[in-house]
Amino acid sequence: MRYFEYFEPKSVGEACQFLNEHEEAKILGGGVSLVVLLKNGLITPSHLVNIKTIPGLARIEWDDREGLTIGGLNHHRDILLSPLIQRHCPILAEAASKIATPPIRNLGTIGGNVAHAEPSADFPPALIALNASLMLTSPGRERKVPIEEFFTDYYENILGQGEILTRIDVPPLPPRSAGTYIKLDKITNSIAIVGVASVIGFDEKGICIYAGVGLGGVASTPLNVKGAKDILVGEKITETHIDKIAKEAQAMANPITNVHASAEYRKEMVYVLTRRALQGSLDKALGR
Amino acid sequence: MVKQEIQLDVNGKSYSISVFPQETLLEVLRENLGLIGTKEGCSEGECGVCTVLLDGLPVRSCLLLAVDVRGGKITTIEGLSEKGVLHPIQKAFIEHGAIQCGFCTPGMILSAKALLDGNPFPSEEEIRIGLSGNLCRCTGYIKIFKAVQGAAL
Ligand SMILES: Cc1cc2nc3c(=O)[nH]c(=O)nc-3n(C[C@H](O)[C@H](O)[C@H](O)COP(=O)(O)OP(=O)(O)OC[C@H]3O[C@@H](n4cnc5c(N)ncnc54)[C@H](O)[C@@H]3O)c2cc1C
Ligand code: FES
Ligand code: FES
Repeated sequence: MRYFEYFEPKSVGEACQFLNEHEEAKILGGGVSLVVLLKNGLITPSHLVNIKTIPGLARIEWDDREGLTIGGLNHHRDILLSPLIQRHCPILAEAASKIATPPIRNLGTIGGNVAHAEPSADFPPALIALNASLMLTSPGRERKVPIEEFFTDYYENILGQGEILTRIDVPPLPPRSAGTYIKLDKITNSIAIVGVASVIGFDEKGICIYAGVGLGGVASTPLNVKGAKDILVGEKITETHIDKIAKEAQAMANPITNVHASAEYRKEMVYVLTRRALQGSLDKALGR
Repeated sequence: MVKQEIQLDVNGKSYSISVFPQETLLEVLRENLGLIGTKEGCSEGECGVCTVLLDGLPVRSCLLLAVDVRGGKITTIEGLSEKGVLHPIQKAFIEHGAIQCGFCTPGMILSAKALLDGNPFPSEEEIRIGLSGNLCRCTGYIKIFKAVQGAAL
C-alpha cells in the first residue's frame, strides 16, 4: 500500500472541512472495500479520514411518522440483528444476511456499502424498493436525495468532496406490507449476478397501496423499476401485473458480461427473479 | 512518511508501538508482535485465515488498518490457551481430527469461539453460517462442524 496520512475527526463539520481542504483525501468507513482498493493501487489518497471517530453516526431509530433512520456507520451486522429493522423493514436484514460472511459484516458499514456504488451491492436494491433517501452532509449544508438519484455510473455517485453520507431514511410502510430480496450468486453470498428486491403494501381490502422494485447487478448502477408503482398501486394484484413488471425490469436491464455471468443470462434471470420477488412479497403480505 | 504511536490490546496485554497508517493489523500482529498464529492468505477478505476477534467479534485483520483498532480488544489464537492448557475448542479440533495442514485452523477456531460465546448451543446450520467466512482446503469441513458441536456439548 502507498503511504497516506491518517486523520481522526471529532465531528461531521471537522471531517467535511478537512476533506474540503484536502482534495485527495478519502473517507474511511468500515474500510472493507477501501483497503482492497488501496492494496491494489486503484486509489492513492493523500489522507484517510476515519469517520468512525465521529460520535452519533451509528444509530437505528424508529419514528411512527418519519419511519426508520439508519446511521451511515451502522455495520451490516447491526442491520442483521436490529429488532427495529426486523419489525419494520425485515428486507434490509434479509439483504444484510446475504452480504459476504460474518467477519466482513462486522466491519463493513451500510453507508460504505452504498457510497462505494458497486452495481452488484446488496443493500441498494432493497433501499430502492423501500423508497429510501440519503442524507448527505457537508459544511453548513445537508441535502436529502432519493437513493436512486445517488448512483451515476460504475463505482460513481453524486457525493462531492467534503460530503458525507451520514444517514439513511426509510419512510414507514403500510401495516400490511412485505418485502423480498433475492440474490443470485454462484457461491452463497458471493457477488450478486442479479439482485432483485421487491416491497408491496396493501390496504384492508387487499388493494395495493405501495410498491417498489430495485435491481442490482444488471446495469452500471442499481436500478429503480419505477413502473412497479404505476402498474400495481390501486390494483388487486394478479399474475398479469407481476409479468408486466418483470418484463419492464428486463427491458431496463443493460448488463455486461464478466467472469461471473454473461449479459444474456443476467437479462434472462432478471425477468425470472423479479417475478419470484414480487410473488414472494405478495404471499408474505397476504399471509399465504 | 510519519509513523504513529498506537496502543494495541492483544490477548489482554497492552502494547505501545509505532506504525505507518497503511499497515494492517495482520502485518502488525505478525511483524511487530511476532504473533504468527494469525495467517496471511488472500489478503483481500475472502479466505479467513487472518481472522481475529475484535471486541469478541470475528473480523478480517488483513482489511483492518492497525490505526483503526482504536482501543478495541484483539484476541488472536495465541490468546486462547491458558497456562499451556488448550482451550476446549482447540481440544475438540484435535479430538475430531478437524486439523490437517492447520493453515485455516486459527481463524476457524476464533470464528467458532465467537459463535459459541454468543450462542452456546448452535444448530448445524448456525455453525455453517458462523464459519462461512473461513475456507478450508483440506478437511472438507464435516470434521470441523463436528468439532464445534463437540466443543458446545
Ligand atoms: C470479501 C468481500 C466480500 C464482499 N461481499 C459483498 C457482498 O456479498 N455484497 C455486498 O453488498 N457487498 C460486499 N462486499 C462489500 C462490503 O459490503 C463493504 O463493506 C462495503 O461495500 C463498504 O463498506 P465499508 O464501510 O467497509 O466502506 P469503506 O471500504 O470504508 O469505503 C468504501 C467507499 O465508500 C466511501 N465511504 C465510506 N463510508 C462513507 C460515508 N459514510 N460517506 C461517504 N463516503 C463513504 C469510501 O471513501 C470509499 O470510497 C464485500 C467486500 C469484501 C472485501
Ligand atoms: S488473508 Fe484476510 S481474508 Fe484472506
Ligand atoms: S486444515 Fe488445511 S486448510 Fe484447513
